[in-house]
Amino acid sequence: MRLPARRLVCYGLVVGNSFALMFGLPGQGMHLRLDALSVLFLCILVPQIVASALAERRGSIAFWVFAGAMVLTLLAGDAFTLIFGFELMSAASWLLVLRGDARPATLYAGMAMFSAACLIPAVFLPASSLAFMLVLLGAGAKAGLAPLHFWLPRAHPAPPAGVSALMSGGMVKVSLYILIRYGFIEFGAAAQPWWGSVLIVAGAASVLIGALRAMLEVELKTMLACSTVEHVGLIAVGLGIALRAKAMGNLDLASLALQGALLCAVAHGLFKPMLFLGAGAVKKATGTTSLDWLGGLMRGMPRLGLLMLAGAAGMAALPLGPGFAPEFLLLHAVIKAAATGGILARIGFTALLAGLGLSAALALGAVVRLIGIGFLGRPRSLHAAAAGDANRATLAGMGFLAALCVPVALLPGVVLGMMEPVIQLLAPNSAPAPLSYAPLSLFLLLAAAAAAAFFGLRRFAVRGTREVPAWTCGFGSPPAWLPFGDPLTQPSATGFAEPVRRAIARGVLAPQGVDPAEAYLLFPLSQVSLRLTRVAEHIRRSTIRQRLAFVFVALVMFLLALGLSEGG
Amino acid sequence: MGMFLLRLVATLLHIGLVFALAPLLMGLVTKLRARLLGRRGPPVVQPYRNLRRLLHKTTLVPDTATDLYPIWPFVCFTATAGAAMLVPGFSLGLLTANVGDFITLIGLFALARGATMLAGMESGFGFGGAAAAREALFSVFAEAALLVILISFVLIAHSPTVDGVAAAFRNGQLGISVSLGFALAAMLAVALTETGRIPADNPAGHLELAMVHEAMLLEYSGRFLLLFEYAAMLRLMVWMCLIGTVFFPFGMARAGEILTWPGGLVLWAGKLGAMAVVLSLFEIGTAKMRVFRVPEFLGVAVLLGVLAGVFLFVAARIGG
Repeated sequence: MRLPARRLVCYGLVVGNSFALMFGLPGQGMHLRLDALSVLFLCILVPQIVASALAERRGSIAFWVFAGAMVLTLLAGDAFTLIFGFELMSAASWLLVLRGDARPATLYAGMAMFSAACLIPAVFLPASSLAFMLVLLGAGAKAGLAPLHFWLPRAHPAPPAGVSALMSGGMVKVSLYILIRYGFIEFGAAAQPWWGSVLIVAGAASVLIGALRAMLEVELKTMLACSTVEHVGLIAVGLGIALRAKAMGNLDLASLALQGALLCAVAHGLFKPMLFLGAGAVKKATGTTSLDWLGGLMRGMPRLGLLMLAGAAGMAALPLGPGFAPEFLLLHAVIKAAATGGILARIGFTALLAGLGLSAALALGAVVRLIGIGFLGRPRSLHAAAAGDANRATLAGMGFLAALCVPVALLPGVVLGMMEPVIQLLAPNSAPAPLSYAPLSLFLLLAAAAAAAFFGLRRFAVRGTREVPAWTCGFGSPPAWLPFGDPLTQPSATGFAEPVRRAIARGVLAPQGVDPAEAYLLFPLSQVSLRLTRVAEHIRRSTIRQRLAFVFVALVMFLLALGLSEGG
Repeated sequence: MGMFLLRLVATLLHIGLVFALAPLLMGLVTKLRARLLGRRGPPVVQPYRNLRRLLHKTTLVPDTATDLYPIWPFVCFTATAGAAMLVPGFSLGLLTANVGDFITLIGLFALARGATMLAGMESGFGFGGAAAAREALFSVFAEAALLVILISFVLIAHSPTVDGVAAAFRNGQLGISVSLGFALAAMLAVALTETGRIPADNPAGHLELAMVHEAMLLEYSGRFLLLFEYAAMLRLMVWMCLIGTVFFPFGMARAGEILTWPGGLVLWAGKLGAMAVVLSLFEIGTAKMRVFRVPEFLGVAVLLGVLAGVFLFVAARIGG
């Protein structure tokens, strides 16, 4: 990827398989290059950009800079172009976050600088464990891998929905692309099994925390952002298993895990932007995204509701949805990995599988909560009751993504076949087993069962329905001035999460349900920074005598050091 | 070709029997339980009568329900029916064998559960929502336990499908394995929770506050309720078939050899009957748990599943 600078930079000159641009570093220029991996990630990215642009952000310059920078990062043929595109992406997205909400923007800028500080030295270092750890820290922080994920549920919901969609679906994928590019290709020769183990541990923590927080958050967009943390974790687990297996020489397992991870990236890149766009439409129609103020949106927004349901099925990894095939592959990869390595690693993989099962069920709970509280039942506010359906642009953007979900859901084998060059690039000479999940046969079976039930009932049962007041175990009907009943008698989003909060969150999250990374990493760091600021302030406010004393002591120390080194 | 036809007939026979006998199994368990408690109990065919009665009832739809109200019973039934077609009963080597991966099965259970939970939240009243929240809590641990047990199965049998695992357990000289014992215990705990039996839930309960599965269906009536009730009966059948097939695969027929079918059918009926007896004995000997005790109960199942795996790894280490 780092090309020698022997060629003159000239516009439009194709050097080898890369494409040189006229500007860039003096004497080196910038190079663009396409290979299977960048094509795959472009295929993930472009539909989201199209859908977001279609749905809302057509006129914003920052949005197009953001989207262009992501494409530039994926096309980069040398380290400078890569960093340039990545930082441009960070800066543009920071501007977009700042426009939406100023509060998380500072935190976001801090994280972007941290990831830049890790990435910039890393890409110029020779292949080594240190370089990989720096890439992992830099790209992982930007992708939202635990424990550096705490900014993501704050920053991703801040900008307008189209940008949130692109940040959650696209920006994290670009970071993962860098991780894959460096972990598997650039530093591939120096890879150690423990690199993969680190990635697996970080991924598992992200999965668990992300799924749990998605179940607990009340804000719709924050909840979706937490679910993004979960899916990034799933992808990282797959990549970690692949990296570990490749370093240990087990190429078949590596290719299986890679298939799972990359398919998960594809599926997540389709359904998550869809859900974010839907959340934006809900915000536009009702003025809020707090689930506790929504309810019954299915009546006013039927088409949006159906699209959200389709995206939610992907998010919960339900069979015949787009999210199931990747989950299937990843779980099989974990099971296969449990048959390799030392006994501690095997026990670790068993625990990982339990954690993944826990998170899958939590994701289902989160989705049921999203649909059940937000779209079903009775409205909890007049705004929710009066909501009209989303505009056609938003529906078109979401519908476009939903249409792309269909092949991923029903023909994952074909999609995997198209990914074969990428797998061969990352794990050369591997022969992945064919996918044993057969969605088409399953679809036929289920369709037969559904048709039998439908026609059986039509033939034998009493037809038609009668609308009546709900029974609710004999409670009285609501008074006339509350047409939808008292909202307080409905299950709330907070209340729905309460059993999980009581039984699980108390053990996993920090006190008061705070994210552990925030409580045990961000908070101590901010304390240290505060203390250092106080010390600096103290020094700044010192009197003239104290300053003279400082200078004198410093001079004495300097002379002493000089004298000692001269004498020694 | 003849082999394929035989397998097709066996598959159709299996599907027909499972769908036809599911209410009978439910009735048998209810009857046995009542007899053990000293009551006469409803006749064994009562579930059939209930379903027939629901066919002739008008379907009432609450005015607070949305347009998706009729969808959930179909999704729940379809997913459960799909699982029923994938889990082998009297015979191995059915046509559905290759589709019947354990993880697909877990996904189908999750789909049915999700549809039921959404049905509970459909009309927006407290009982349904509370029950759905509890179901979400139980499912978290149940799914973890199921996946962990899977590791032991796949490592012993080298196959991820129910059919393959059963075939390996039937043919191999496994003897009595500590791992499989733990896995069985964990699987039983999950099965009791998933089918809504005591101690996690009481299928005969009448107090809305204490219900889990039934409380989600409070607003359903007529043919939609029929689908949910039939799905519940099928679920009991599926879980009994699953446990019988995986842990007691002896004597199962081969779909390609018609002469083995009668023996397989008789043994299958015997296994189901035995499991019904064990279930009713267990139910009268246990009290329903408080809601927040159930996660502990299922947490033990997760731990047993992990232990099953650990024993397996240690055994592999010692055995070389």
